[in-house]
Amino acid sequence: MTADSFLFWFLAIVTVTSGLSVILMNNPIYSALSLAMTMVGISALFITLNAFFIAGVQLIVYAGAVMVLFTMVLMLFDLKHEMQAFVKGKFTGFIKVASVGLLAGLLVGAILMSVGLFTEKTTDNPVTFGTGMEATKALGRILYTKYLLGFEALGVLLLVIAIGAVALSRSKGGTHEH
Amino acid sequence: MNMGKDAFEIIVNGLKLVIIFLMIVQLVPILVWVERRGSAFIQNRLGPNRVGPLGLMQLLADAVKFLTKESFVPDTAKPVLYYAAPIFALIPGAVAFAAIPLSTAFTVGTFELFGSSWGPYTFLVQGYDIGIGIVFILGVSSLAAYTLLMAGWGSGNKYSLMGALRASAQTISYELALGLSIVGVIIMYNTFNLTDMTMAQQGPLHFSFMGYTVAASWLPNWGIFYQPLGALLFFTATFAESNRLPFDLAEGEAELVAGFHTEYGGFKFNMFFIGEYGHMMVAASLMSIFFFGGFGIPFVTVDQVHQWAVTVTSTPNWASALVALIHFLVFNVKFFAFLWIFIWVRWTLPRFRYDQLMDLGWKTMLPWALVNTILTATVVYIASL
Repeated sequence: MTADSFLFWFLAIVTVTSGLSVILMNNPIYSALSLAMTMVGISALFITLNAFFIAGVQLIVYAGAVMVLFTMVLMLFDLKHEMQAFVKGKFTGFIKVASVGLLAGLLVGAILMSVGLFTEKTTDNPVTFGTGMEATKALGRILYTKYLLGFEALGVLLLVIAIGAVALSRSKGGTHEH
Repeated sequence: MNMGKDAFEIIVNGLKLVIIFLMIVQLVPILVWVERRGSAFIQNRLGPNRVGPLGLMQLLADAVKFLTKESFVPDTAKPVLYYAAPIFALIPGAVAFAAIPLSTAFTVGTFELFGSSWGPYTFLVQGYDIGIGIVFILGVSSLAAYTLLMAGWGSGNKYSLMGALRASAQTISYELALGLSIVGVIIMYNTFNLTDMTMAQQGPLHFSFMGYTVAASWLPNWGIFYQPLGALLFFTATFAESNRLPFDLAEGEAELVAGFHTEYGGFKFNMFFIGEYGHMMVAASLMSIFFFGGFGIPFVTVDQVHQWAVTVTSTPNWASALVALIHFLVFNVKFFAFLWIFIWVRWTLPRFRYDQLMDLGWKTMLPWALVNTILTATVVYIASL
C-alpha cells in the first residue's frame, strides 16, 4: 500500500464515518459537528486531488462559515422535544434507515460513475494539474468566460435568498416585528 | 505537499514539523511573561518579579501549577465535547503556522553518510508549502470557531454558552473583512504563495505604472506603502479573530465570568491559552509577510545577501545556511514587533460594546474592504495598460 492510497483510504473512512454519524446521532448538535467534520474530510480529499483552491474554499465557506452558523443556531434552541421526537417512533427509524440506504446508493453510484470516468478519459477538462495558482487561474478563467451566465445567476440567486430572509424576518410574525 | 524522495529528506521534513510545533508551544510561556510584565509596565505596576531573575522562573512555576491542578469536570458538562475542545483549540494555530515561510530555502549539496551518497536537497524553512498558502491558512483558522462552540456548549454552563455564541458570531463577522482586506494584496502580487509575496517586496520601492518605472530609493518596497487601508483593516480583523482585547467579548469578565472557558482549569485552560497565542503568532507573521516584507531585509535583496554570504563562508552549504539564518532572524524581529503591538494594544484600549463591535465589523470594515478591493483592481488594471 503506497502512502497516497493509505491517505485516501484514511480520509475516505473518516469522511464516510462522520457523514454516517450526521444521520445516526440523536443529538442535532453532534450531527452538525459531524457534518463539519465531513466538510473538513472532503476538503482534505480535494487536496489529495491537487485541487488546492477548491479545498481552501471548501474549508472557508462550508466548514468555517455555514456550519458554524448552523451549530450556533442549534445551540440557541431548546432541543429536548425535538430530540424526544427524533429518538422514538417508527417513522423516524424508517427515515434513518432510508437515509442510510440513500447514502449507500449514492456511494455505489459514485464508485460506478468514477470507474466509467477513469476508463473514458474525458477531454472537456481544461484545468491542468500544477501549482495551486495555475489551477486557480484556470478555474477563474473558465468561471468568468464559459460559465459566466451560470456564475452570475447563482450570485443573483444568493442575493435574492439573503434579501428574502431579511424580508421574511421583518414581516408580520417575524422575530424583528415593528 | 510531498514529504521527500528518500529517507533523509522525509526524516528532516518530519522533524521540521515537530520543531515548528514546539516553537509555538515554547513561545507561549515567554509571551505570557512579556504580557504580564508589559501590562504591569503599561499600568505602572511591577508585575511578577519574585521568582528567578526578572520573574522569568514564574513561567515554570505556572507550568507546574497547571499540571498539578485537580482535573475538574462540571456535572452538567457533555464529557466528549468538554475534553475535545481544548485539544481542538491547539489545531488551527499550529496547522496554520506551519504553512508560513520563516526564511529562505536551505540547500544542501551531495554528501556521504552511512556508506551511501545523499542529496542534493532543498529544505524550506516552513512546515509544508501548500500551493495556495494564504487560502489554506484562512481556511484552517476559520475552524477555530468550533473550539469556542464546543467549549461553550460542552461545559453545560449558561455563561459559557453566551460567551461561545458571541465569540462565534464575532469570528464569522470579522472573517469577511479579514478575507476581503487581503484580496488587494493577492491582486497586487498576483499570487497566493507567501514566499513569492515576500520575494516581491525586496529592495527599495519601485513599480511600473503604464509603462513608466517609478522608484523611490528612500523607502523599502513593502506592501504597506501600496495597501495602507488593507493593512489597517487586516490588522484590526486579526485582533477580532484571535479574540483579544478590544475584541474579547467572548470573555467579557464583567458580564460572563470568563466566557467560553469559565468551567476550564489547569492544563485544559492552558491549552485554550496556547491556542489564543497561536492565533496571535499566525496574525503577526502574516502581517509581516503581507505588508512588511516578510523575512526580507529592508532595501536589500536576498540575492545580495547570498553574494555577501558566499564571500565570507567556505562552502555553498554554509553560505546557504548563513543566508537562511540571517533571514530567519530578520523575520523574528518583525514577528516579535507585531506580537508586542498585540500585547500593547490589549492593555491600552478598552473593550467594545457588543453593538459597537457588530457595527464596526459590518458597517465600517466590510464596506471599506470592498472599496479597497475595487480600488486595487482598478489601479492594477490601469497600471498594466
